[in-house]
Amino acid sequence: MFNLLRRFASLKITLVGMILLIGGSVAIYGNPIDIPMWVLVIPLVFLAVNLTAAIITNKRINHQPSLLVFHVCLLGLVILAGIGRLTHLDAHTEIPIGTEFNANRILEVREGIWHSGNLDQVKFVQGPYTVEYAPGMQRGLTHSHVMVKDPTGQWVEKIIGDDRVLVIDGYRFYTTHNKGFTTLLTWTPDGGERISGTINMPSYPLFDYKQDNHWTPPGTQQEIKFWLQIDAGLTQDEAWTLDARNSTAVLVVTNNNIRQELREGEQIRLPGGELKFEKLTMWMGYRIFYDPTIQWMFFISVAGVAGLGFYFWQKINLQPWTEETQEELLKESLTEPLNLSLKQPAKAVKPSNQEQPMISNRTSHDLAPLSKGQS
Amino acid sequence: MTAGIVAEIPWLWAGLTAYMIATLVSMWGVSPRYANVPIIQHKTHEYIVLGCLTLGVLLLAAAIGARWMRIGHGPWISLFELLMSQLWSLGLIFALLYWRLPGLRPSAVIVLPIMWILGSWVLTLEPSASHFPATYYNVWKWSHVGLGKIFLALLLAGVGLAGVMILRTTRLGQNWFRGMPSDMVVDRLAWRFMMLALVFDSLMLIAGAVWAQDAWGRYWAWDSLETSAFLTWLFLAIGLHVRLTYKVPHWLSGVIIIGIFCMAFATYFGAPYISPSAHKGMV
Repeated sequence: MFNLLRRFASLKITLVGMILLIGGSVAIYGNPIDIPMWVLVIPLVFLAVNLTAAIITNKRINHQPSLLVFHVCLLGLVILAGIGRLTHLDAHTEIPIGTEFNANRILEVREGIWHSGNLDQVKFVQGPYTVEYAPGMQRGLTHSHVMVKDPTGQWVEKIIGDDRVLVIDGYRFYTTHNKGFTTLLTWTPDGGERISGTINMPSYPLFDYKQDNHWTPPGTQQEIKFWLQIDAGLTQDEAWTLDARNSTAVLVVTNNNIRQELREGEQIRLPGGELKFEKLTMWMGYRIFYDPTIQWMFFISVAGVAGLGFYFWQKINLQPWTEETQEELLKESLTEPLNLSLKQPAKAVKPSNQEQPMISNRTSHDLAPLSKGQS
Repeated sequence: MTAGIVAEIPWLWAGLTAYMIATLVSMWGVSPRYANVPIIQHKTHEYIVLGCLTLGVLLLAAAIGARWMRIGHGPWISLFELLMSQLWSLGLIFALLYWRLPGLRPSAVIVLPIMWILGSWVLTLEPSASHFPATYYNVWKWSHVGLGKIFLALLLAGVGLAGVMILRTTRLGQNWFRGMPSDMVVDRLAWRFMMLALVFDSLMLIAGAVWAQDAWGRYWAWDSLETSAFLTWLFLAIGLHVRLTYKVPHWLSGVIIIGIFCMAFATYFGAPYISPSAHKGMV
């Protein structure tokens, strides 16, 4: 068993694994979505087994603490990355201002088979937000106000945005470029109970030319089409700030080919009930990320590089920078007679004066044959 | 350049001129004027090279500072900024190595022309102002970029020595680099730079992953630049393992080092500008 492990610990096998990993990386280059991850997983598993065997059997690794730390951390990194993929969650959600995060309304969910977090326990309320734009519609800083519960159960305000992340129970919420306007509507059906809700328009200002959506009131068959004419102060050539509080809009409602315009607070009569445009507000799109291994990966990778750095430092300190070691001087002195017979005299650099060269310029070609002869 | 003369351009030209003088003087230093003389007795030219390199670094720092004041942010975004900043950091680190390690000084005749590839390139680009993405305010950017600069400079120093080993297979090369230590020492020094480069490359990847996690919500997504950076790390690791496993002739050792550098060069100056990856701020 040990012999088998020792064979599989060979550096030549490591090279094969690394070349396979290069192949996988080249295959996935520029197209990580469509190419199956197996092109990377297989070489990584192959290398992990090789590395485990090397850690157990290779004395150059397991007898040098710093090199051992590096290789164990490298193995740990691969294992943690694997665990991270199995337990992760990646999703998106859109939350209107004034609304609480709802775990049942997450979109584009991708999660590992072992994911067992408590996303439904996560509570925060979306507050107002602003997004700065530089001239030329270049997106700048996002300041998103959210209300979260502190450890004592009190609601406190936090400002997040861009690289300032909201972290609750290990779930990380990132603001995204995906945000826009939403209309708060109230539908009062004939003889029925009033209901309120929001209709999110497409991302703004990315799709400022098509701010439309549609909705079919419950109990009716007729689809109502909405088109929002927004004045948010958008300018192409000057800096401006996207803010629901500085925006106004007219809601164009089309039903049965009849077009009607509504401002905030106005209502209209439609077949089956009354529709009121309560308020213009905005929604923010969040990316949700969960991976319980990321902190461990950070610490283990830093420890690994520290081990590698310490190993190199020890190695470097053993030998001078630009002077030959005693061993190298000995090798060179041994190769000198052979060198004369192997090299063409014309190719050697011969000093024309009588001064002896203080610095040698012999190459490895001079060394290799003698080394073989010696062995 | 249609944009006219902007603040940083005179400093940039002055810095590149200093680098050019350093290049020419270093070439003169290994020229065959002392043909058949085993030791170059007078090293005055090395002080001129070091002086010009230092001056070039200072002038390029002024160019970066002038641009920073003009557009309001550091050299993080456009290819023009990246090249200018790399010319500064490569010059600075190589000048330090040139000063502290006299044995590698003649390799400047290989290192400085490579820097001139970047120098010529930057002169062809428009110095137009770039937009600073919101995610670039993150403090991890500094460590990611700084570590990357050290990594590339160490690779470049290794390439200089690799070039020496390859050129020494010719008679002309042996004559040019007669003032340098033996190939055995040059090879050892070159791989020492490769070892240090691996450490700084690893640290750069870690800092970049933390930045990416904060800025884009994922530490690694196999985008074009990340894949390219990973390939560079892998090439470097393979190079070190090959050298451990096999008895590699010095010229081949040099070829391996140059191969690793080419991969790193493509990662730095190719990948971010070929694909619209997150690294370019397209978020």
